[in-house]
Amino acid sequence: MSALHVVFKVGSAEYAMPAADVLQMESYSGATPVPGAAPFVAGIVQVRGRVVPLLDLRARFGLPAVESTIDRRIVVGQHDGRPVGLLVDSAREVLDIPEEHFRPPPQMVADEAAGLVKAVAQIGPRLLMLLDFAKVIGQETLDGSHE
Amino acid sequence: MTKRVDLGDFVEAFLGEAEDLLRALSANLLTIEAGLREGRQNPRALREAFRATHTLKGLAAMVAIEPIVAIAHRMESLLRAADAAGGRMTLPAADLLLGATRELERRVESVAKGKPAQAPPPDLIERLDALERPEADGARRASRLALEPAIAGKLGPLEHEQLARAVAEGRRVVRADFTPSPGRSEAGLNITSVRERLSRVAEIVKVVPRSVPATEEAPGGLSFALILVASGSDEEVAAAAGIAPQELVTLSPAGANVLDADALLAAPVEDELDEGRSGDGFQRGNVVRVEVSRVDEAMERLSALIVTRFRMARAVAKLAERGVDVREVAGILAENGRQLRDMRAAILHVRMVPVAEILERIPLLVRGLRRATGKQVKVVMDAGSAELDKAVAERLFPAIVHLVRNAVDHAIEPPDERRAAGKPEEGTLTISCFERSSTQLELTVADDGAGVDRERVAARAGVSPPESDAALLELLCRPGLSSRAEATHTSGRGMGMDIVRRVAVDELGGEVQMRTRPGHGTAFTLRVPLTISIVESFSFEAGGQRFVVPVAMVEEILELDRSRAVRAPSANGREGVSLFERRGEVVPVLDLQDVFSLPRDGRAPQKALLVRRGGEPIAFAVDRMLGQQEVVLRPLEDPLVKKVGIAGATDLGDGQPTLVLDLAALGGAALAAAETGYSA
Repeated sequence: MSALHVVFKVGSAEYAMPAADVLQMESYSGATPVPGAAPFVAGIVQVRGRVVPLLDLRARFGLPAVESTIDRRIVVGQHDGRPVGLLVDSAREVLDIPEEHFRPPPQMVADEAAGLVKAVAQIGPRLLMLLDFAKVIGQETLDGSHE
Repeated sequence: MTKRVDLGDFVEAFLGEAEDLLRALSANLLTIEAGLREGRQNPRALREAFRATHTLKGLAAMVAIEPIVAIAHRMESLLRAADAAGGRMTLPAADLLLGATRELERRVESVAKGKPAQAPPPDLIERLDALERPEADGARRASRLALEPAIAGKLGPLEHEQLARAVAEGRRVVRADFTPSPGRSEAGLNITSVRERLSRVAEIVKVVPRSVPATEEAPGGLSFALILVASGSDEEVAAAAGIAPQELVTLSPAGANVLDADALLAAPVEDELDEGRSGDGFQRGNVVRVEVSRVDEAMERLSALIVTRFRMARAVAKLAERGVDVREVAGILAENGRQLRDMRAAILHVRMVPVAEILERIPLLVRGLRRATGKQVKVVMDAGSAELDKAVAERLFPAIVHLVRNAVDHAIEPPDERRAAGKPEEGTLTISCFERSSTQLELTVADDGAGVDRERVAARAGVSPPESDAALLELLCRPGLSSRAEATHTSGRGMGMDIVRRVAVDELGGEVQMRTRPGHGTAFTLRVPLTISIVESFSFEAGGQRFVVPVAMVEEILELDRSRAVRAPSANGREGVSLFERRGEVVPVLDLQDVFSLPRDGRAPQKALLVRRGGEPIAFAVDRMLGQQEVVLRPLEDPLVKKVGIAGATDLGDGQPTLVLDLAALGGAALAAAETGYSA
């Protein structure tokens, strides 16, 4: 079994997300900040008419902010009926990754990523980290209560 | 001094009623037209159309919209004549009336936009005036027959015509009554055999069964009146009917026993009218026409109730903190909360209109397009019982119109092309919809036309042909893109797909999808929310960011005079809240950019928005006001962005979301923060 994955870069690391969980990818031209939201929430963006929160993955991973480049992309994923955009440094590839390539993340990676990485896959010389989208966007239900 | 009567309210009422009347008018005219194409007259639809024009004329006269009166009057006169002629209409007349209906619609639309109604097109008036009135003569002659109203009323327009023709040709119209009985039956005489025997000596126009008092002669209490145009002699006809020649009633030519023609016709007509009226009464008896603004008013009152409940809940929480047993009150509060939610749902339900009603205007539109393009198109509509919020429906309708126009103009091929492609000459346009979930409607406009030409669209856009339908749709939605070289009369230049997307996606927060197959057709699917909140709002700028706030929430927009503001002392060394006096009230002023921690651009805010929180005034200083407009409020449900003071987001037309603020809630939180020295 293999599945298509969207591959994107944040900082120097490469991440993957099952294409089935990705609603769409858009170029980034700024977000509307939402006062009072968490620091890693870049704001809200309108993607094809839908208003979704945008998570700045650099901020989410504790990386320093950088000048915006034209490569920056919004990867809109969906979990449990919640569409959320992820702001990434670049997203260019869709790869077909066999299931058996994924291994549990090494302890060090798991600790550092605070459980945001589900698994890692070795594709040739590249190490792809499978993002735990649900954890990234927070395990909160829509009415604001914690699970 | 005489008091001037303000027509404004009447115009509102007129518009509401006129829309319904026009819908009824065009639906009935279309029914008549469709019937005529198959050689059928439809007196009932004609009567309804007559009634609609009559009422519309009266209403328009009340609010003094002369052009509508002028057109409706002529339509009414034409329809009245046709009605008097037994409900007969000709195709050219039906056609002209449909054209006139369109002109009426245009004028009603203008009035709805607050513009004066355009003068009626002179050629239309001329043609309406010139149109030959249906030969009421023929019908009159027919009705000059000595027929009991009860029987005359059973005759349809075609039968009246048949009788009129017979009379005009000098043939005899007679009536024979046949009453079945066991004795006659034994003699082989029953209604079937009588019909058959009569058919040899007469033209049977109508057989009218009647109930009669049960007697020895008529043991079944049943008799048949046979209206005949005799070809044989009276004796022959009577013999065939199994009656004596003297029992035969001669109805023509007009003799001394002739009833007044109008009385004859009027009797059944009045009956029918009454029947119609009671029918309407039954349908309308359960329906109340309500202006949307009244429903909105109810909703606003409900919002006030909800706020009060929140305050009550807080008061109860305070009591609980003091150790008071509030379990019973808390239970009641929870119940109250559920009731308010149900109440809100009930009010929202009032605003829902059947989608079928919205689509009623589509057949008339397609009819016009058919004539303009010379294409043959039939419309199949299935809206089921789906309903939409009135506000959504109003916004969605222009998008549906665009899609329908595109389908007829661009997608469905001319008859010869279709024939060559092995398709039926008549194209099919299907509009269907269903409630996809409790919050979303899915509406599909599909045609069996040529499909979207990928290569041509790509060439016009100057890109390589897109592979997926989604990518093709993206191209089609580029503003100003047209897949046709020349502008058409009906669609104008461009596909208008950008408008469809603008409405469905940007305004309503829905989605547009497209499936297209070369040679087989195209289907556009719109998914839109069943309800939206439309809020009249102020837009303004603070800290370099744009925001909007509902007008209803703002009590006043103040000019900020800093020299009159006093800074309250603060215990924790931070800047205190500014206070100023307004009409004897002390009003705290908060800089919105501080509350939101937005960058300062150096200039001191000039304006402040005064809101009330639980009766207490709070002013928010903002950089400048931008304007006032209706916005579609989209709630922000995601916990990542659902924050105090933010009611939702909207699109002011730049494709970027703008935050809609709840300044009252924000004020409460900010003041509490200022008091405790904790930044919001």
